[in-house]
Amino acid sequence: MSPGRLLAWGGLAALVWLARGLLLPIFLAAALAYLLSPAVAWADALAIRRSVAVGALFAAIVAVLVGGGFLLGPGMLAEGGALMDRLPALARQIDVGLDAVVRELAETAPALRRLLPEGGAWVQRFVLNRGPGEPGDLFEHVGHLFLIAILVPFFAFFLLRDMHRIIAVAMDRLPPQHVETSVAVWRELNGVIGRYIRGVVLDGLVVGALAALGLWASRVPYPLLLGAFAGLANVVPFVGPLLSAAAAGLVVVLTPGQGLAGVGRVVLLFLVIKVLDDTIIQPFTIGRSVHLHPALLLGSVVVGSHAAGVLGMIVAVPVATVLQETVRLLLEHRRVLARRRRPPERLVV
Amino acid sequence: MFDQPLPRWLGWAADPDQLRRTPFLASSPLFTGLPRRLLARLATRFFEKMYHPEEVVFEEGDPGRALFVVVEGAVEITRATAQGPYVLNTLGPGDAFGELALIDDFPRSATARVVTPGRLLILYKSDFDALIEGNARIAVVVMRNLSRRLALYARRSPVIATQPGSETAGPL
Repeated sequence: MSPGRLLAWGGLAALVWLARGLLLPIFLAAALAYLLSPAVAWADALAIRRSVAVGALFAAIVAVLVGGGFLLGPGMLAEGGALMDRLPALARQIDVGLDAVVRELAETAPALRRLLPEGGAWVQRFVLNRGPGEPGDLFEHVGHLFLIAILVPFFAFFLLRDMHRIIAVAMDRLPPQHVETSVAVWRELNGVIGRYIRGVVLDGLVVGALAALGLWASRVPYPLLLGAFAGLANVVPFVGPLLSAAAAGLVVVLTPGQGLAGVGRVVLLFLVIKVLDDTIIQPFTIGRSVHLHPALLLGSVVVGSHAAGVLGMIVAVPVATVLQETVRLLLEHRRVLARRRRPPERLVV
Repeated sequence: MFDQPLPRWLGWAADPDQLRRTPFLASSPLFTGLPRRLLARLATRFFEKMYHPEEVVFEEGDPGRALFVVVEGAVEITRATAQGPYVLNTLGPGDAFGELALIDDFPRSATARVVTPGRLLILYKSDFDALIEGNARIAVVVMRNLSRRLALYARRSPVIATQPGSETAGPL
């Protein structure tokens, strides 16, 4: 490699390192672009200019968000504020509820008494340890969230509008004899990622709706909020459904009159939803986009969690799928090249 | 209603590339018989690339992953023989080559080389497969046209061809 090229690659690596804070917004923007790309493809087929189609799409999204904000915003802000005010008292109430469940369990099954934790105030300790720190920290967090909220649609807009031009430029720069195979590999991976992201979002919507409906039928409070959480948490394999079931179980514990039977109903509901999700919903939504072995799936989630926390758990599956597909395509490429030695059978009529 | 092109008063919002590409594909024998709506969808899946003279599109033995349609320029299809490359055919605007990549994953049976500056439309197998999953009619029409080409080729060369002079240009 020439010194100039080495310098250029080094400069690029340094630039990426300096801009690493943009990785999360770019990742979220790419996910949003994948989600919206079928609408843009539909506009392409109608011969609508990309800039017009993407502009109209974002205008429609902004209109829906502004409308929704006017309708639901004040209520949600009021609920959020009230929840923050009530947080210490709520933590105390949760601890009392948890104590009651532990006592009930100990009375139901005395053999378990030794296994059950002693003491209490676990949630209060958790909440107090994670309360708002310095005002500066709070502003930093709010500023970071605001930046993400601005940057994600900004990047997504330009990805949707200009991606075909970027590809055209890249294809013109590639050596002609490599265009077919390299772009083919990228197209396959692109298809897998797109189907996975759209499938996960659709899956989350269905699971969230089912959870909300089931919780409402079981008379659990806040079914919409818990359903929305179940839909969002569903993005993380294995851990997500457990978290949403735990949150719903916690609400049941806090609700007078539900007791252990209520917790049992919630656990059963989330088990049924999980089975339905694995057997019926996912084959329709995510379908054939992901073929990861369950052990590999779990392993990727664990590795993702260690590497980048919750974000790592979310991106673990698509990253593992891309790696697996890349290896599969490279092996297939080798297999096809091996056929060069054998001439294909001629058509004889 | 969505099958119609944009009305004239919305001309400013029209994509000139797509407006040019759809009727161009309609003129290609491989896509004859496809309704405009499906042609428009198919056209969105193509990539366009400029080629300079003497640039190789693919070589004999390369894995086949895409179909090519000549938009501008000329493409020479050659096969290696003991006496050197033998020209099977020279293709011009509207001609398609590499179409067997849409069917199987056998290596290319000939080399395609651009002889005059040109532009090619490229349709990748994965994009074609994704499109026909929801539109079986595209698959039926394209495969029927492809079968006709194969039948024509089979009738032209009914026996195993071993001499370069007895070969004809068929699907790649």
